[in-house]
Amino acid sequence: MRKTITLAALLLTTTALVSGCDKLEQAVGGKAEVKNTAYPEQVFWGDTHLHTSNSVDAFGFGTRLGPEEALRFARGEEVEASTGTKAKLARPLDFLVISDHGEGIGATKALYDAPRIAITDPTMLRWYDLMHEGPEGSLKATGEMLAARANNTIPAAFNDPKKAESRIKSLWDDHMDTVERYNEPGKFTAFMGFEYTLMDRGNNMHRNVIFRDGKDRVSSIIPLDPSGELKIDKLWDFMDAYEKGTGGKVLAIPHNSNVSNGLMFMFTDPTGGPMSAEYARRRAAREPIVEITQIKGDSEAHPFMSPNDEFAGYGTSGWDQANLLGNIKTKPGDLPGSYVREALKRGLLIEARTGVNPYKFGVIGSTDSHTSLSTPEENNFFGKHSGVEPSAKRATAGFVPGVNSGRMNWQSLASGYAAVWATSNSREAIFDAMMRKEVYATTGPRMTVRVFGGWDFKAADLNGDWVKAGYARGVPMGGTLKAGGTGAPSFVISALKDPQDANLDRVQVVKGWVDAAGQSHEQVFDVIWSEMDGSRKAAGGKIPAVGDTIDLATATYQNTIGAPTLATVWSDPEFDPKQRAFYYVRVLQIPTPTWMAYDAVKYKLTLPPEIPLKHQERAYTSAIWYKPS
Amino acid sequence: MTINDTVRRLLREPLVHFLLAGLLVFILLSGRAPDLGERRIVVDERVVAGLVGRFQDSFRRLPTKEETDGLIRDWVQDQVYYREALVLGLDQGDEVVVRRMRRKMEGMAVAEAETQTPSDAELQALIDNDPARYAEDPRISFEQLYLGADSPDTRRTAEQQLVLLRQGKSVPALPIPLPGKFSNASGADIAGQFGDEFTLGLRNLPAGQWSGPIASGLGLHLVRVTERGAAEPPKLSKVRQRVENDWRAAAAAKAQGDAYSRILKGYDVVIELPK
Repeated sequence: MRKTITLAALLLTTTALVSGCDKLEQAVGGKAEVKNTAYPEQVFWGDTHLHTSNSVDAFGFGTRLGPEEALRFARGEEVEASTGTKAKLARPLDFLVISDHGEGIGATKALYDAPRIAITDPTMLRWYDLMHEGPEGSLKATGEMLAARANNTIPAAFNDPKKAESRIKSLWDDHMDTVERYNEPGKFTAFMGFEYTLMDRGNNMHRNVIFRDGKDRVSSIIPLDPSGELKIDKLWDFMDAYEKGTGGKVLAIPHNSNVSNGLMFMFTDPTGGPMSAEYARRRAAREPIVEITQIKGDSEAHPFMSPNDEFAGYGTSGWDQANLLGNIKTKPGDLPGSYVREALKRGLLIEARTGVNPYKFGVIGSTDSHTSLSTPEENNFFGKHSGVEPSAKRATAGFVPGVNSGRMNWQSLASGYAAVWATSNSREAIFDAMMRKEVYATTGPRMTVRVFGGWDFKAADLNGDWVKAGYARGVPMGGTLKAGGTGAPSFVISALKDPQDANLDRVQVVKGWVDAAGQSHEQVFDVIWSEMDGSRKAAGGKIPAVGDTIDLATATYQNTIGAPTLATVWSDPEFDPKQRAFYYVRVLQIPTPTWMAYDAVKYKLTLPPEIPLKHQERAYTSAIWYKPS
Repeated sequence: MTINDTVRRLLREPLVHFLLAGLLVFILLSGRAPDLGERRIVVDERVVAGLVGRFQDSFRRLPTKEETDGLIRDWVQDQVYYREALVLGLDQGDEVVVRRMRRKMEGMAVAEAETQTPSDAELQALIDNDPARYAEDPRISFEQLYLGADSPDTRRTAEQQLVLLRQGKSVPALPIPLPGKFSNASGADIAGQFGDEFTLGLRNLPAGQWSGPIASGLGLHLVRVTERGAAEPPKLSKVRQRVENDWRAAAAAKAQGDAYSRILKGYDVVIELPK
C-alpha cells in the first residue's frame, strides 16, 4: 500500500515537472526564451562570491575594475586587470553573482573621489592621503579600515547609512542595470546579490545574499547594512520582508566558517541557550547552501575533529589559528563550530532533540576574489585582491602585503567553483537548484559528479539509463532518502574528470551519524579508485597513494596515473535503520601543481620549503540524508 | 655685544633665511600686474550653501553661526593657500596632484561617452565587422558512447564496437555523468563538457551514422551526429543586448583614448634615455 502511495506521489511530481518544462520561461525584457529540460542534464559552473571596486575593501586593495568588467571577464572576454596585465579565462563561466559588501557599498571609492577639503574626520583624511600615495599606501589604509571595523572605530561619517543613502541608491541602481544587461538566459546568468558582512569582534559570520529576480523586484531594496548587528536575525527579517513585499525569492549562503571561531555552526542558539525548533527551521529555510571552499581556505574538515581522515585539513593552514581579522586566537573548542562536516553532524544531533535540522545544507565553492576577476585555476590565478595580482613577489608576501595579518599569501587557495545541476542556464533554474541543494563544490577543476541515493540500486543499474533511474527510484544530492526503504541504502555515484584537467585518484563517501547514546560519529569510505584491482589493492583498510607525475621544473603533470572516470554503486555496510545519518561524496584528483608552483616557474623563483607546491584538488557534493521513520 | 655681532647671529638663523627668501619671491612676483580674478576670493551664497551642506552630511544638523564662520574661514584659507601654491608651482612634480588631475580628465571623457546611445546602423556595423562573434553557433544533435582513456586497447575496442553499432546492435559504454544524447547543443555547451578537441572532431563527421573514435579531454568516444543545424548569420534583433554591451565598453575606452591622443597632439614628447 505504502509503495502505491509513494509511486502515486512520484507520478504527481513528475507530471508537475513535465508540465513545468513545457512552459517556456519568458525572461524579463523580452530576452531569449529558455527551454528547461525534464530533469537536470547539465552542470552549470559559476561563482557566487565576487567583489568589484564597489566593495569598500576591494577598492582599497587597489581594484579598479567594476561590475561591468567582472561580468565581461566571467563571460570569457579579455580585460585589463587593475595592475595592468591582460586577464582572460580559459573557459567562460555559466553564471556569476557579484556580491559586493552591502555595508558602505562604494564608500571607499567615494572617499577616494571626494574633494579633500570636504573630509573633516582626521582618520578618513589619513586614509584619503594614504590611498592617494599609491598602491602601498592604499593597502595600508585598507588594513587600517579592516582593523577599525574589528574594533568598532570606523568613523561615523565613513559609513553613515543616512548620509550615504543617495550614493548607495544610485550606485545600486547602476549596478542592477549592468547586471540586467549581461544576463542572457540560456547562455549566461547574472544574478543580483550582495554580501552581508556580519561580524562579532572580528569573528566571521558573513553571508552572501542572492536573488532569484530581476531589477523589477530587486529595486525595492538596497543592500542591507550589518553595522551594529551581532546576530543574523536582521538579515532573515530582511529576506522575509523582501519575499512578502515582492513575491520574489532570495537565499543566503554562509561562507568562511573556518574563521568564525565557532560562531558559524553553533550547537546552541546565538545567546548560548538551547536552539529552538523555530530558530532551526528558519536557518534551514533561509540558508539552504554553504560555501565550503574559497581563497581564504577550505572549511570541509579539520584534522582536530577528523584524525582518521588522511585527506582532512586541505587548505586549513594559517586559517585555523585565528578569526577573520586575526584579533582573537582560535581555541580547539572553537573548531567544531567552524567546519562543515562537524556542522552536518551537529545538525543531526539538534534534529534528534528538536525535530528540525538547522544545518541540512548543500555545499558550493566560490572565489571571494576582490579583483573583479573570478580565477580559481592554479595556472591563471589573480589572487585574493589586487595587492597580490600576479607578480614575482606575491608567493612570499603577506596575505595583505605591508599589513601584519599573521597570514601569508601562499596560504590563499586558488579555489573554488559552484557546480549546479539545473534544468537550464537561467536565474530561475539555477536558483531553484540551489534551493533543493542539487549543487556541489570544487576547488577549481570542473569535475562532473553525480550521486543518487535509494534503496534498491544495484551495480547493473550503471549499464542502463542510470540517471533516469536515479531520479525515478532515488534522490539526487541534496535530497533525503525516501522513507519506507528496507535493507541498507545504496548510492549510484559517477565522477568524471575535468576534460581540460587532471585525472581522478579516488571517490570517497563521507558518512556521519548519531548513535543510540546521542553521540555523533563520522567515517570515510573509499568506494572506488583508479587501478583498484591492479596496483592499488586495498590493504589494512587503506589504499596505496595514487602516485605523483608532477615535474616542478616545468609545473606540469601527466595523466598517466589515475582514471578519467570512476563510477560505482555503493551500499552502506554499517547501516543501522535507527540512526539518523548523512552521506556525501568527496572526489580527489591526482596530485597537481599549486599556483605557487606555477609562479615559481613563471618568475624563476626558489621558494622556501614551507610553501606547498603540490596538492590534490577535490570536489565535495551536497549530502543525502537519512531520517529514521 | 655689538650691532655687528647681532647682525651676524641673525644671518645664521634659518628663520631669517626663510623670510629673506620669501621676500625675494614676493619682490620677483610682485612685478606682475595683479590679476583681479586671481587675487579676489568671493564667498558667495553658493559657496556657503556647499559648506553648510557638507557639514550637514557629516553631523546631521545645521552648523551654528560660529561654526559657519569657521567653515568660511577655513575655506578662504584653503583658497588662499591653494592659489599661492599654484603661483609658486608647488603642484609641479607632485604625484598625487598629477594623478588626480589625470583621473578627472579621463572621467570627463568617459562621462561624455556614457550619455550617448548607439544607432542601429552603428550596432549593425559592429556585427558586420565580426559576424562570427555574434553568430548563433550552428546547433548539433548527436549521440555519444564513452569508451575510456585513449589507449591502443581502447582504440581496438572502439573499432570492434563501431562495427556492431553500424549493424544496429547495442554496445556497452562507461557510465559517465554526461548525457548519451545531446539535442541542439551549441559549440560552447559541447566544449564545456567535452573540451575543445571534441568540438573540432564533431565538425567533420557525417550525419546519420556511427563514426569515430573521436578524442576528447576525457578519452575516446563513438559518435553519431543525428542533425546538424546551419550557421545562421547574426540578426541585430537577437543579439542587440550583447552588441550594445560591446559598443558601450568600446565607446568608453575609445573616448578615453581619443581624448588622450587629441591632447597629446599638442605636445612634443622627447624621450631621452641614458646611453
